[in-house]
Amino acid sequence: MSSRTVELVVGPLRAMRRAVMWWSIGLGALVALTAAFWPIFKGSTGISSALNNLPAGVLTAFGLEDFGSPAGYLRANLYEILVPILLAAAAATLVSGQTASEEAAGRLEMYLAQPISRRAIYLGRAVAALLGLVVICLALTLVQLVSDWLVDLSIPPGELLSTIALSTCVAILYGSVAFAIACARPRPSLVVAAGIVLAVASYLVVALLSFSPVLDPWSQLSPWSWAFAGDPLEHATDVWRYVAVAVPSIVLVLFGLRAVSERDIAAG
Amino acid sequence: MQESTKPESRAPVDPVLRIEGLVKRYGEVEAVRGIDLELERGEVFGFLGPNGAGKSTTIRCMLGLLRPSAGAIRVFGLDAAKDGVTIRQRVAYAPGELRLPEQLSAAEFITSISRLRGGFDEARRDQLAERLRLDLHRPMRELSSGNRRKVAIVLAFLAEAELLVLDEPTSGLDPLMQREFMDLLREARAGGTTVFLSSHVLSEVQRVADHVAVLREGRVVASGTMADFRGRARSHVEVFFETPPPTEALGALPGLVDPQVTDQRFTATLSGPIGPLLSLLAQHKVASMLVEEPDLEEAFLDLYGGETQ
Repeated sequence: MSSRTVELVVGPLRAMRRAVMWWSIGLGALVALTAAFWPIFKGSTGISSALNNLPAGVLTAFGLEDFGSPAGYLRANLYEILVPILLAAAAATLVSGQTASEEAAGRLEMYLAQPISRRAIYLGRAVAALLGLVVICLALTLVQLVSDWLVDLSIPPGELLSTIALSTCVAILYGSVAFAIACARPRPSLVVAAGIVLAVASYLVVALLSFSPVLDPWSQLSPWSWAFAGDPLEHATDVWRYVAVAVPSIVLVLFGLRAVSERDIAAG
Repeated sequence: MQESTKPESRAPVDPVLRIEGLVKRYGEVEAVRGIDLELERGEVFGFLGPNGAGKSTTIRCMLGLLRPSAGAIRVFGLDAAKDGVTIRQRVAYAPGELRLPEQLSAAEFITSISRLRGGFDEARRDQLAERLRLDLHRPMRELSSGNRRKVAIVLAFLAEAELLVLDEPTSGLDPLMQREFMDLLREARAGGTTVFLSSHVLSEVQRVADHVAVLREGRVVASGTMADFRGRARSHVEVFFETPPPTEALGALPGLVDPQVTDQRFTATLSGPIGPLLSLLAQHKVASMLVEEPDLEEAFLDLYGGETQ
């Protein structure tokens, strides 16, 4: 790999190091804090029976089934909504920070005036954002594993890693949405909002449609369903779930790379 | 002029830059309205005009950052729209609006950009920084606009490109650094580098340019060699005669405007060649004579009808 290619990724990575650090600290703190409360809820039948009075749709929508078990506790507090949405937000902001924000501020001009194609520069930034997200997810995984061990929150490591990996894939998908929009229209607020709003919307599609037996089958149109419908904290995940989320991510990146090469660069 | 005996053996040399009918529209707004330019190898081309005239837009089209709405740009004979990467390998650019990454130091930024060009000479970087008195280790957010400009200048000269495209390169530099920049420019030209120098600072263009084009509201309103330009500019003439001035003969000379006679002192503004005036003065006893060098600023103001400042 040439030093030029390495610089296309390392340069943006160097620039986003602080953002990656703060996301890692924030998500790590959330995971550690959540795990710290596990001893209170461990084996609690009162909360579980109280929750069981809720309609089945509500339990499913918010991942509240079996709240007193380790898997149920983590699903309800972290992996049903919060962690995937926060990771999607991290992906969208990292992508925007290295593409749309930089271009809109005029800070990409010096890079784009070098003997490198726009596609290569934007792809380098997408890869840097991906690596930044992976670092955040590794930090989150490490904190989760250590916290689980400390508070005896026993989840099989394979299921836990699958859940975090699927959350990462979902974040990559919405980061790719952000990337495609940044490539087509370098408006930072639009890019970040689109990534986060679509991630939330895809969760809501699954959550709300599950209330109606008639509409429930349509929830399978949501990438959220592709990733999490198999309940990865409790069951082994089929490979196709990763593929289903990865393929549209690749398509979106390819679309973005085509779009960025066919437009004017913002003057800043 | 020596003609070749074997014309078929001489490959035609493309101009470094050829712009034909360049138009750039932003919606209803036409920023560039049909520019034609040609830049020969080894020359310094002054691209003059006030802010908003379309200079930076033209440059950004040259570098492939903008897509022209109409017209063609060829750099080193290559199509700027299709061969941008190959062209930029031979071009170094210092933008007018300097927005640099705040979180990097000058050294980190220079290293990053230079690696994208395929490497750089660290000794040359340090030498350029020293000449421009740039502290490479300070974060960009702590640098003044002048120091940020120096970063762009270091990068432009570090690239050792065949064509330097410099947009308002001395903006924010103190006079001492402006002089250092001019020295760097002259050294680059002496080494065969072609320079496209965009500026609204007329004095700097006047000092180094071989050819000049003046842009106004997206159109080239004047172009030519510096000598052509000076020929259009008006000089101030002041002559002290030993005898009463030949007022009538002076008044009949072509190109002399606003003649004033005070005792034996004659002043006027001369536009056009000075030869007829010198021929006339040779027939009279002249004590002293002062001709102020034509100023591009005046030629510029003439062209713009006094609209510029």
